[in-house]
Amino acid sequence: MRIIKNIFDSQRKHFEKNGRLRKLSPLFDAAETFFFIPGDVTQKGPHVRDSIDLKRFMSFVLAAIIPTLLWGIYNAGYHSFLASGVEATIIKSIIRGSYIVLPIVAVSYGVGFFWEIVFAVKRRHAISEGFLVTGILFPLTLPPTIPLWQVAAGISFGVVLGKEIFGGTGRNFLNPALTGRAFLFFAYPSKMSGDTVWTVVDKIDALTGATPLAISGLVGAGGKIESALTSAKYSFTTLFEGLYPGSIGETSALLCMIGAVFLVVTGIASYRIIAGGIIGVLATGFFLNFISGSNSLAWFSLNPFYHLVTGGFAFGITFMATDPVSAPGMDTSRWIYGFLIGVLTVLVRVFNPAYVEGTMLSILFMNALAPVIDHFVIGIRLGKRVPNV
Amino acid sequence: MIPVNVKVKNGYDLPVEGKPLCEVVTLEKPSHVALLPEHIPFVKPRLLVKIGDSVKVGTALFEDKRSPVIKFLSPGSGEIENIEFGPRRVISKIVIKLDSREEHVELEKLSQQEIEDIGQKELVGRIMKGGLWTLLRQLPFRDIADPGITAPSILVRMDNLEPFHPDPEIYLESKTDLFSFGMKVLNRLSDSVVVYTGSKNGYAIKQVGQYLTHKVSGSYPADDPGVVLFHTKKTANENQSWYINGQDVLLIADLLKNGRYPVERTVCVAGSMAKKRQHLHTRLGAPVSHIACGSSENNTRIIAGGVLTGYSVKSDSYLGFYETSLTILPKGGEPEFFGFARPGIDKSGYLNTFLSVFNKNPLKMDCSMHGENRGCINCSTCARVCPVDILPQFTMKAILADEIEEAAAHGLLDCVECGLCSYVCPSKIELGDIIKTARKKYYKECM
Repeated sequence: MRIIKNIFDSQRKHFEKNGRLRKLSPLFDAAETFFFIPGDVTQKGPHVRDSIDLKRFMSFVLAAIIPTLLWGIYNAGYHSFLASGVEATIIKSIIRGSYIVLPIVAVSYGVGFFWEIVFAVKRRHAISEGFLVTGILFPLTLPPTIPLWQVAAGISFGVVLGKEIFGGTGRNFLNPALTGRAFLFFAYPSKMSGDTVWTVVDKIDALTGATPLAISGLVGAGGKIESALTSAKYSFTTLFEGLYPGSIGETSALLCMIGAVFLVVTGIASYRIIAGGIIGVLATGFFLNFISGSNSLAWFSLNPFYHLVTGGFAFGITFMATDPVSAPGMDTSRWIYGFLIGVLTVLVRVFNPAYVEGTMLSILFMNALAPVIDHFVIGIRLGKRVPNV
Repeated sequence: MIPVNVKVKNGYDLPVEGKPLCEVVTLEKPSHVALLPEHIPFVKPRLLVKIGDSVKVGTALFEDKRSPVIKFLSPGSGEIENIEFGPRRVISKIVIKLDSREEHVELEKLSQQEIEDIGQKELVGRIMKGGLWTLLRQLPFRDIADPGITAPSILVRMDNLEPFHPDPEIYLESKTDLFSFGMKVLNRLSDSVVVYTGSKNGYAIKQVGQYLTHKVSGSYPADDPGVVLFHTKKTANENQSWYINGQDVLLIADLLKNGRYPVERTVCVAGSMAKKRQHLHTRLGAPVSHIACGSSENNTRIIAGGVLTGYSVKSDSYLGFYETSLTILPKGGEPEFFGFARPGIDKSGYLNTFLSVFNKNPLKMDCSMHGENRGCINCSTCARVCPVDILPQFTMKAILADEIEEAAAHGLLDCVECGLCSYVCPSKIELGDIIKTARKKYYKECM
């Protein structure tokens, strides 16, 4: 501790007003405050302050995401071996998965951090902790086969156009990680969708599989998606646990659920958004079940609980939708926001067979609508006050 | 009368260590006392004395330029030793060196019957002449009550949940008759006198039960007059209600009953760095060092008023006109190694991110910020604690965008300046200060 303090104390002069590296002072501050919470004391207002700060806040989100990252590593490695016909051990899968996933995470953090520093230096503000979360969320939504240059392009788009041009953390209206993913999805669809992108393979003739959503989309009218999934070895339990090819971090609904409970109990994430989303999915699913006839799309008669565990819904509603910056600020709005994300997710999946993954678009769409919901909810709330002007 | 229950859902009780004990010590007479005009809100003082003048207890020291009938009286008899000015010639202190004679300016006494018979104007005049009109404060700005209007209601606050304030059990002891006298006075000033106390305060409920109109349940600041008014008001007319503290009702009663300017105050000394945490009987305007009883000055902060709404004072200063508590906390300010990653069994937290959720003991808090200023992430923690249902994060943005009308619609004037929004903010935004500054600006432009 003393050694680290001495390092910072001896280097500080370079970053101060007349130092050689004064322009990089946000970088120095970010590094220093990572190790030491600054010893500022209250100047005005209440004399004591809560011990929480944004570092703690964001590191709790990070802690909730880590299990899905670790699972993503194992899952990617396991399926990479499986595609070549080898049933690998856990250790081998993890090593193989690390080779696949960690470079993607490293590029995301590295390039994104570069942009953070550029903007912090140019705008002379501190580097915000929000990027710690964006930088890990983004790679977890990507397929493991993604080329690294696309990771760099995506995170650049997400950080710069999704966040920094609006003024940085707290001023963006879209989730930066999802903005980056949406950019990649529409700019490079061949690397973001299809049957071959979900598993890393060495040999050309290796067997790769389609994702559950893709299989579901192929089931014809009147067919049963559940049985199609089961015959492709995607049982409900498998989908819930997450040992199947898919985006790196999105496959395990179980781990997302654990993360969600952790975030809700600690008070970091709003349970209203998550509960609203689940209710929205189930309500829409049951409604479609109710109106489905014998010749309607197979999606209509799907057990709604499948919607919760397939695709990126569990991951999106837990980690993306609950991003407080792009979510609405009122409790009532959060119910509405979550609910509509759930509804839209199912509607996109059901009515748009060309694009089966609805979570990303529905969250982005609701991000854009969040201020509108807030506007009306605040209006109602202010109307109830006894005026005092 | 059966008291109405008022439930306040939001709020937060700070788990701060250093509650004063329930024993009372009577302090001996200090050598100096002082009046601090700079800590009396909104007042524009015009001096009526100069250095070297000899004064009695109750001699007017300065008056309010805005309304010269409002006078501030000397808390001691002796000689004006010093008049200190702060930046921009703000009168910061009027210091009186006490003599041993302790002469009083004698005023007329009133019996209980006379209170009933005397005209309302006359009664107001007597309280003003006695220098205690200033104890009646007017919402929403907490200015001195405007004698020109009849108060829609007067709220009498018996206790204060903010850490730390004197317990009614101490100041009310053997003074319930005086309180009844004071209630008679207040009943002459307004048709509606609301006396309330926390629902857990058994002592106050027992002692003033016959006058009690409301019982308040909830966390700090549920028993702030602004919060009680917010949760009970039906129309906008009530916004200009007045309020007074329980202890101050006793002072007004004392003044009218005995015809002398009362200078006794019950004060509490608290906080983890206080040498002795206790209640004290002392004088108005007593020196801080006299009250603090030898608490260490190194790395401590002395706060007059509560830890959330008070202001910091130096040990060579004096206790202000309105303040009845002194809280002494460690100053803090040590950089904390890996502070954000610690388990935090002893760290306070409104959100459950520290292990202190399992620790029910009061925690040792200091004056550190515990983090750096960041952009608002709209987490709405501030809206969850706000006792008067303001949305501090949206109101703050409205204020910073100069949309004062919108901020007012959000309840800018309902704000009770409790400081909880600043306290809980993970981005360390000075929400409370931004709102408070906007309220001051609003006051200046509208009054």
